[in-house]
Order: sequence, then C-alpha cells, then structure tokens
Amino acid sequence: MSRKVSPQDVLNALRAVEDPDLHRDIVSLGFVKDLEVGDNRVAFTIELTTPACPVKDQLAASAKQAVHALGVAEVQVRLTSQVRTAKSGKDVLIPQVKNTVAVASGKGGVGKSTVAANVAVALERTGAKVGLLDTDVYGPSVPALMGGSAQPRVVEGKLEPPVECGIKIMSMAYFLPKGEAVIWRGPMLHKTIQQFLGDVRWGELDYLLMDLPPGTGDIQLSLSQTIPLTGAVIVSTPQDLALTVASKAIAMFQKLNVPILGIVENMSYYLCPQCGHREEIFGHGGAREAAHKLGFPFLGEIPLDPAIRLQSNGGRPVALVDSTAYGKVFHEVAGALAAQISIVNSQTDQPISIE
Amino acid sequence: MKATLPVTPTKIKLTAGNDTLLIEWSDGHLSAYPYRYLRDKCPCANCSEARARTPSAGSLIPIFGAKPLRPERAELVGRYAVQIYWTDSHSAGIYSFAFLREMCPCAECMAKGKDTSGA
Repeated sequence: MSRKVSPQDVLNALRAVEDPDLHRDIVSLGFVKDLEVGDNRVAFTIELTTPACPVKDQLAASAKQAVHALGVAEVQVRLTSQVRTAKSGKDVLIPQVKNTVAVASGKGGVGKSTVAANVAVALERTGAKVGLLDTDVYGPSVPALMGGSAQPRVVEGKLEPPVECGIKIMSMAYFLPKGEAVIWRGPMLHKTIQQFLGDVRWGELDYLLMDLPPGTGDIQLSLSQTIPLTGAVIVSTPQDLALTVASKAIAMFQKLNVPILGIVENMSYYLCPQCGHREEIFGHGGAREAAHKLGFPFLGEIPLDPAIRLQSNGGRPVALVDSTAYGKVFHEVAGALAAQISIVNSQTDQPISIE
Repeated sequence: MKATLPVTPTKIKLTAGNDTLLIEWSDGHLSAYPYRYLRDKCPCANCSEARARTPSAGSLIPIFGAKPLRPERAELVGRYAVQIYWTDSHSAGIYSFAFLREMCPCAECMAKGKDTSGA
C-alpha cells in the first residue's frame, strides 16, 4: 500500500534518530540533506561530522527504519561526511587545517609514534584528509614508520610535505644527515614548531596529527602556545606506573586548556601470531581503569605484536591492512578518536572575540 | 582531574572606557582591569624579576612625553592565554586566563582572595 508523505513528515520521523555521541537528533544537528520525496520513495543524505564515524551504519539503519515506519516502501540513505572545525576564521598559520591532535605520552618507549602513524593511516582509510607532523626533533621516527623515500621540496617559498600512505608528512628526519643529532635549545625548538606549521604547505586537512616527544617540555609548550590545539591523545602502557607518569602530561595539557580527547593503552596484550592466544604480559586494563577514574574517554587497547614492530620498522604501518586484527584495532581507535573530536568541537564555545 | 570545561573569556574589550580592559567570562562574570594595574602585573620573566628586586617600585617611573598607556592589540595564545601589546612597546607578557581570573580586581573576587579559580 503506498502512502504519500510530505518532506515534513520525513523530517519529523527522523527526529527520532539521535546521534549517540552528540546527544541530539540528526535533524536538529543539520545532518539531513538533499531530501527527495516521491511516490512511495524517499531518498536523503546524512552528512556525518567525520568519515570515520563509528556509528554511521547504525544511524543509517535507524534512519531507514524511521522512514519505513511511515509506510514508505523504498528508502535510500546516502552517507557523506564533512569534518567540522571549532576554529574561528582568524587562524593565520594553518587556516585550512580543521583539527589538530597532539599525540603525547608521559614517558618514552610506550610506542607513541607507532600509534600516531597507524591512527593517522586508519583515519585516512576512512576517507579523511590527514597530515602527520613529527615534532620529536631529537628522535624523529615518523618517516621510517611510514616508509617510502619521498623528500620535501620547496614550492612557492614553502615546504611541500611528502605524501606516504596517503598522508602528508613533515619531520626533522628529512633535514638531518644520517647519524647527525639535533642539539638545540628552547628558542630554536619554538621556531621550528612555528615553521613546521606555518611554512609547510599542509593544504586542506581534516586532521593534523602531531607526534610529540615524550614527556612535558619545550615542544609541548610551544605547540600549545602557537596554535589552539583541538585536543590531545595520551598513549600509555598498562602498568599503573606508566599512567602515573602519563598524569603529568595530562596535567600539563589541562593547565593549557587543551582538551584530553582520550587515552590509548598500547602494548595492552600479546596476541600470538600462531594460535591467536592472548597473553596479558604487562598486566591489563590499567589505562582503561585510570581513564575511567579520571573521567577521560578510553579510545582502545592496542596489542603488542612482533608484526607491528617488524612492519613499522620495515616502513609499512599495520593499519594499512584493515582486515587483520591490528588493522581492526587501529580502525576502532581512529573511529573513537574522530567521535571525540566531533564531541569536543560541538562543546567548544564561540571563539573568543577581542575588540 | 575531571574533564570539566574551564572558565574562559568569551569577549575581551581592550578599550572599555576609563582606561580599563574588560573581560566577559563564560560563567557570566565580568572583570574590569585598569591598564596600569594590568601592566604592573605583567607576568613575563623580566617584569617578574624587576618586581622581585624592587617590590616598592610599583609603577614604572612615568616617562614624560611618553604615549599614554593602553593596550594596542592583544592576541590569543593557544587555548589558555592572551598576549597584550602595550603602547609602551612591552609585549612579552602572556596572561593566562587562570591568572587573569585570579587577579580580577572586582570587590567580589578580592573578597574571596585566592579562591577564584571558577572551575
């Protein structure tokens, strides 16, 4: 039996579909677009806030169901995305970069760079435009993790970032002759951060991830002063001790009003590549519990596996293959991170006006 | 260490009349800072050290013929502070929002003493 419904009927029905992260319905959020109503046929687009939205299939299914419930036989839902930004138009340094995410840790050796590189890859694979800035001037490791041999060129007076695995990359590693070390003091580091942001042709990016050096130092401060960071992700290993150390990094970002987007537990467990057995050699769940206690989002657990290390050092991020256990894990972390960015952006007040 | 949103300015008015700078805060509070007061409390390393050495100095010795003191412009620093560029050419001070709120000179805040974090 066919039934004529009006566009208003459809919109009213869709108000029952709520985004579980933003806690508002998709119509008042402005997600529903290109509504077409025909004889017993309705088609519309849901424009999500990120291509990495972890609940996009659920939203599409709920929306379809809501319209079917009106008696419409044929319902077509298209999913698109437009990454939002909370920045005001005044950003001089990187005006076309919508979101900046610092990936930090309290101490070294937690695998922060591997996490940053793989989450960047996972985000890119959902269709987002992603950049990865290696701010660890003393121990730059990003180009090695990403593989490839492209070098930066100078185009119109600025640095063109090499693209590896679909991601624009910049790192001190490109400028250091092999074996040389950077021995610099604060002001040089600050200048480098400003140049890595303002003098690189990042272009239009949905997400610029920044791999920070471990701890709380000049580079963290420079970054937090130079741009209004969208937020920070803290990488920790399961041991409580590691997270106590991570607390310092958390406290630093809070002092600088940088939102904590979430905590990632790296080296969470060992997954045997032969039999798939899961061994929690560093203890387990410490970071998740601490995140819960502190009231921060927990973005996921990444297993320890020789494959990640081998592939990382061999220059192929495991997240490139999303059918493996590791690919899936990074895909989930990327989705959780993208969701948190959307939430933080929706909560950010109007930009501060100075007159 | 709960992830609550800190109190931040929503509007900063550099010339609010009477040689004062006005800040409207996200919790509705209003702060009016006389320029001299704000400049004398510049948190940069040089000014902090100068105050520590000669605490009774207070205002800098007025230089005759100098431009009247006022903020020419201000810029946001990251998400947590504002940098003020004064007509006396001094601009090294990065005033964090927490600091600004703490030193709000209104009667209510002065009465509360240090307990003005607003978080």
